[in-house]
Amino acid sequence: MSNLADLQLTKSGELRHFLTPEGLDRLMLERILDTADSFVVVGNQEVKKVPLLRGRTVVNLFFENSTRTRSTFELAAKRLSADVLTLDIKTSATSKGESLLDTLQNLRAMHSDMFVVRHGDSGAAHFIASQVTPDVAIINAGDGRHAHPTQAMLDMLTIRRNKGHFESLSVAIVGDILHSRVARDQIHALKTLGCSDIRLVGPNTLMPQAIDSMGVTTHNNMDSGIDGVDVVIMLRLQTERMDSAFLPSAGEYFRLYGLTTERLAQAKPDAIVMHPGPINRGIEIESAVADGPQSMILNQVGYGIALRMAVMSMAMSGQMQQRQAQANTPSSLTGKLRP
Amino acid sequence: MSIIIRGARLIDPSKQLDQVTDLHIKDSHIQAIGNLTGVRAASDIDAKGMILSPSFVDLHTCLRDLNQIQKGTIASETQAAASAGFTHLCPSPDTQPCSDAGSVISMIKNKVAAAGFCDLLPVAALTKDLKGTQLSNMESLSRAGCIGFSNASYDISDNTVLLRCYEYAATFGLKVFVQAQDQQLGDGHMHAGPTATRMGLDGIPVVAETLSISRHLQFMQHTGVSGHFNQLTSAAGVALIRQAKAQGINITADVGIAHLCFTDTAIEGYRSQYHVQPPLRAESDRKALLAGIKDGTLDAICSAHQPHESAAKCAPFAATATGMAIYDMLVPLIQGLVAAEDLTWALAIQALSSNSATIALGKTTSLAIGEEANLTLIDPSHPWTLNSSSQLSRGTNQALANQQLKARVKLTIKGGLTSYIM
Repeated sequence: MSNLADLQLTKSGELRHFLTPEGLDRLMLERILDTADSFVVVGNQEVKKVPLLRGRTVVNLFFENSTRTRSTFELAAKRLSADVLTLDIKTSATSKGESLLDTLQNLRAMHSDMFVVRHGDSGAAHFIASQVTPDVAIINAGDGRHAHPTQAMLDMLTIRRNKGHFESLSVAIVGDILHSRVARDQIHALKTLGCSDIRLVGPNTLMPQAIDSMGVTTHNNMDSGIDGVDVVIMLRLQTERMDSAFLPSAGEYFRLYGLTTERLAQAKPDAIVMHPGPINRGIEIESAVADGPQSMILNQVGYGIALRMAVMSMAMSGQMQQRQAQANTPSSLTGKLRP
Repeated sequence: MSIIIRGARLIDPSKQLDQVTDLHIKDSHIQAIGNLTGVRAASDIDAKGMILSPSFVDLHTCLRDLNQIQKGTIASETQAAASAGFTHLCPSPDTQPCSDAGSVISMIKNKVAAAGFCDLLPVAALTKDLKGTQLSNMESLSRAGCIGFSNASYDISDNTVLLRCYEYAATFGLKVFVQAQDQQLGDGHMHAGPTATRMGLDGIPVVAETLSISRHLQFMQHTGVSGHFNQLTSAAGVALIRQAKAQGINITADVGIAHLCFTDTAIEGYRSQYHVQPPLRAESDRKALLAGIKDGTLDAICSAHQPHESAAKCAPFAATATGMAIYDMLVPLIQGLVAAEDLTWALAIQALSSNSATIALGKTTSLAIGEEANLTLIDPSHPWTLNSSSQLSRGTNQALANQQLKARVKLTIKGGLTSYIM
């Protein structure tokens, strides 16, 4: 999707917004992973700070509740030495009737350099980057069912650090694909990075319409779905899915799609198990697997900070270059609404 | 007043007329058709290369005004309608306040009459406040000039209430207009397909339409009510209408121009200008809708004009208002279909004029000597750019804004008088 590339990249091809891996080429995704790799060590140092975002203002805008994503973004920004403002949306002006548009334009007027946005509507980050504040770097921290690119990329980082490559891997994504913003971005990223065997496993009620058009195979049967795979990615099952008739019961779901030690034996012996968290023990995964030797769940959390540091530093750098380039041209970017 | 339009291509499918010739209007009526060399009139229009047809009748539009003047006024939207070749409009009853009372209908009628651009053929609410619980005063509203009854985009989920709506309409021989979409299955933002899946937007499956069509057809067949389906969207929906007509059920159907021209892929990039209800569907559906126009399954093309202020479309996609401002784009969109050989001018004109008139007025409008002059003159090759200075609708939700377009209405005549001239 060239328009997605145009929106996310500067004219010279540097990242300036990170909305979704869709539209970005393999080289860019590998650069993100390489940069993240270099930040993994920062977390292990005694002084866990680098000065890359010193003097820059990062605003965390979480219109939806989040604990771990929000805290890892906050930590990532702080480790990059940015000034961080986390806006409590519940007490902000939006609850007094101010539109999203006006809230963002006011924050932009305060000379913010980056917005980290989580919003319940698909396309919210895209809307902000394309129409509201194109001169502020936008990092999508999850929009509706659409995308959660930093989660997907930290999953790619976890896979690469364990398997070294993507080409010959078989990856199964299991569970509530329908409501998952992570699964879509995982598919885009895996495909771009060279993985050709991506299997989605779940009942039809949790499978999006025409999902096979994304170049994946679908499996209703868990055993055949994870047979011989290198990576099993389990998705969180929201308990409210039982109330809204997507599933009959947690018990039946676990019996059919829960990841147990016995079932994991269907995958390759060195298969890794991942989960974006928070996990529901006994609903989508049994504790023996979640805490077992093949589980990468806690590693993912650590890599999450490094990955977020990587995209924040890259997007900030790209956005600064773009601003500089535009300042040097007669018609500078105003950030006004485009028609 | 006397007008001669010379050298236009006269198209009137109801009279099997497709001929380049002259037409003379005198005393509000068509005085003569043929070679009028030597005949003089107060107004003499050289219309070589242009198309002259019976004027258009819009079976579904929203004129806003009342409590929605930020979106459009009756004066602005009826003028925009006249500039698209329409002389008669059937506004949807989902006005604010709702068109469920004679007083509201009368207020709208007075405003339309005062503006003078179009005549009103109101469709009133089928149930009070469109809530699907109490019947509206259908007989009284019919006496007040309402040509039919609709619950607009609000499904009546209670089958008992719906049956009574049909029974009551049947009592007085009233027509029921239906926008067929199941309320629960229609609770999404675009067509359920690959694009919706990739963009993470809630999809509306085709079965939302077919289920509703089937349900209403059962009631129409049971009560004998004459029904009209507004804004079909899907191949499966067209197939159901075709089958019902073959069975002799007394129905007609239309399609919105946007559904003939655009598909769900237009939404790529969260383009809220293409956020419409019912949703734009797949290319195979668009082709089936065109086939439905060609074989007569779909009788008419409506505008489904829904103007909005800019703020209504400036939000994350799901939070934006649905609908497109169509009037300024309608004729260029038709021209695009003709250029792509998806339609002919004759088919488009039949669907916009004579067939729509038959559904709304109970009689066809035509290019025939002695008929009242209700005419649309189109220059199919006129180049222009749609922007805030060239558009007449107050709606800023113009999907083709700032684009170079081709074709424009040159002149609209309503009841022998000029209602729009470019």
